[in-house]
Amino acid sequence: MKHVLVVQDTDCFANSKNLLALTQLMYDAGTYHVSLLALQKDVEDAEGYFHQIITAPESLYEMMHLAGICDVIEHLQKAHQFTSILIPATHTGRMLAPRLARRLHTGLVADVHEVQQRESTLMMIRTAYAGNLMAGITAVGDGPMMMSVHPDSFSYNQSPDVYTSIQDYDGPIPSTSTLRIVRREKKRVSYDIRKSDILISGGGGVTRYFPILHQLADALGGVVSASRKLVDQGLAPRSIQVGQSGKFVSPRLYIALGINGAIQHVEGLQDIETIIAVNTNVQAPICSLSDIVVEGDAKDFIEKLLARIHNTPHTHEGDT
Amino acid sequence: MKEELRLVCLVKFVPDVDAFSYDFAHNQLNRNYVRMILNPDDACALAFALQVKKTYPSTRLEVVTMAPRSVEHHMLDLLRLHVDGGYMLTDPLFAGSDTYATTTILSSFLSQLSYDCILTGTRSLDGATSHVPSQLAEALGLDHMQDISRIDLESIKRQRPECTVEYEEETVTYAMDMPAILSLTRTSGYKLPYIAYEDFEKDVSDRLTFITHEQLECSPAAIGFSGSLTHVVDTFAQEHERRNRTIVQSDEAGIEYVYAFLKKRGYM
Repeated sequence: MKHVLVVQDTDCFANSKNLLALTQLMYDAGTYHVSLLALQKDVEDAEGYFHQIITAPESLYEMMHLAGICDVIEHLQKAHQFTSILIPATHTGRMLAPRLARRLHTGLVADVHEVQQRESTLMMIRTAYAGNLMAGITAVGDGPMMMSVHPDSFSYNQSPDVYTSIQDYDGPIPSTSTLRIVRREKKRVSYDIRKSDILISGGGGVTRYFPILHQLADALGGVVSASRKLVDQGLAPRSIQVGQSGKFVSPRLYIALGINGAIQHVEGLQDIETIIAVNTNVQAPICSLSDIVVEGDAKDFIEKLLARIHNTPHTHEGDT
Repeated sequence: MKEELRLVCLVKFVPDVDAFSYDFAHNQLNRNYVRMILNPDDACALAFALQVKKTYPSTRLEVVTMAPRSVEHHMLDLLRLHVDGGYMLTDPLFAGSDTYATTTILSSFLSQLSYDCILTGTRSLDGATSHVPSQLAEALGLDHMQDISRIDLESIKRQRPECTVEYEEETVTYAMDMPAILSLTRTSGYKLPYIAYEDFEKDVSDRLTFITHEQLECSPAAIGFSGSLTHVVDTFAQEHERRNRTIVQSDEAGIEYVYAFLKKRGYM
């Protein structure tokens, strides 16, 4: 019997649950057992999905005491001999997984978003070279197979139907940490681009007037997203970045303004009904993937389309 | 307060992957003529370290990289920014190392150095796994934070750096004792200065030290491909669905076409 450990995604329970879809791809039904390491006490949602829930002391997560969480998993590993350990690639997960892999002397593959059986070996697939290539990676060595998993890559829709045993971790935690939280400040505006049906997305071609994208988003009842180029330049927050290093999105309508369409960006576009690209270069890669290509300047397009939506004639800046 | 602050900046030279172009029509990646650059996140870390040194001139700043000898000229350019010393971990035995083996090599070297803080980038442009800083923290027994967008300059001098991380819905500031590993992101906006004109041709080679595996306490079996616990077995281009696009101009007819399309499909 294979034994899989899933580490809880503290931001979103669904991401923890979705890792069950990954385990189905890895192992045959009935041949594995899945435990959840809960980092927060509130685990009611997980009952019926996992065979076992083990709750770690909540202070470890609250204090970001990652070496302490490694203590817990190291101890559990000795007791349970997990075949594989799956960690959501959140901010915490991305720091925890490498530490743990080092502790357990095992290989780790980051940001996995697909797995394939290659002969008798599992190949974990992730992007490389900033999303320009896909890489298939195998684990070697005797340790558990470890991967951090890109959120939104897998979806588990089955009803909860297994008996779940729950236990508190009461083993040793010898590591210490001096890390403390000094301040927390809520952000004034935040939205989740994954929840919108319409995304108005800006790239390197709109760096000088990115804020006006909000006007079009408001007119169409959507929200604004951005490519990595704008985020790297500090013009947009990382929370609205589309792509491999940002978020995977599936809106009904995606309007790409001044976006070239590097692979790492295109990777983030999943099952989109309609893509409209506005670009001065119709040979830009995003244009091959679009339903409509508007050849022209993105700012000009926004102003004219807004004028049409509001049914007012468009006037150029400086016109009197 | 200590007299001298010792900072180590860990950097990587990577292919400029943004210069890769992709031909979706033929599913081909064009990697010709791609140059090596200092990894952008690491550049931010070094830029911050130089700010610390400028503010507290007694600071000693050293740069460490694991790289083939071909990037020596890049390292020399970093030393011309008034970095006190550089170490290049260079050995054919290091080739093929995954992040685990890389950490074995780097931790073996760093455990020989004296430092208060290791500054580095969060992600490399090529791999983007963010594994090495966290694995080093584990191997060296240090606290670590990544995705840092700002570090309070004075707090470094107080030996308890305060660093800020931007999350989806909140901004959190952490503090930890030194020595620690702090990984910055490009969004921090720390910018490397240019090399001063008078330093362009300056001979700084005496400040660059080459390190091979013989100077490290790690066996050849624990490094390189043989010491790696993951192997890349395949690389390929992802197929993307091409659509039957309609090309219009951004003129009255084109806008009308888009407007009618949006109305017809129920997006408005």
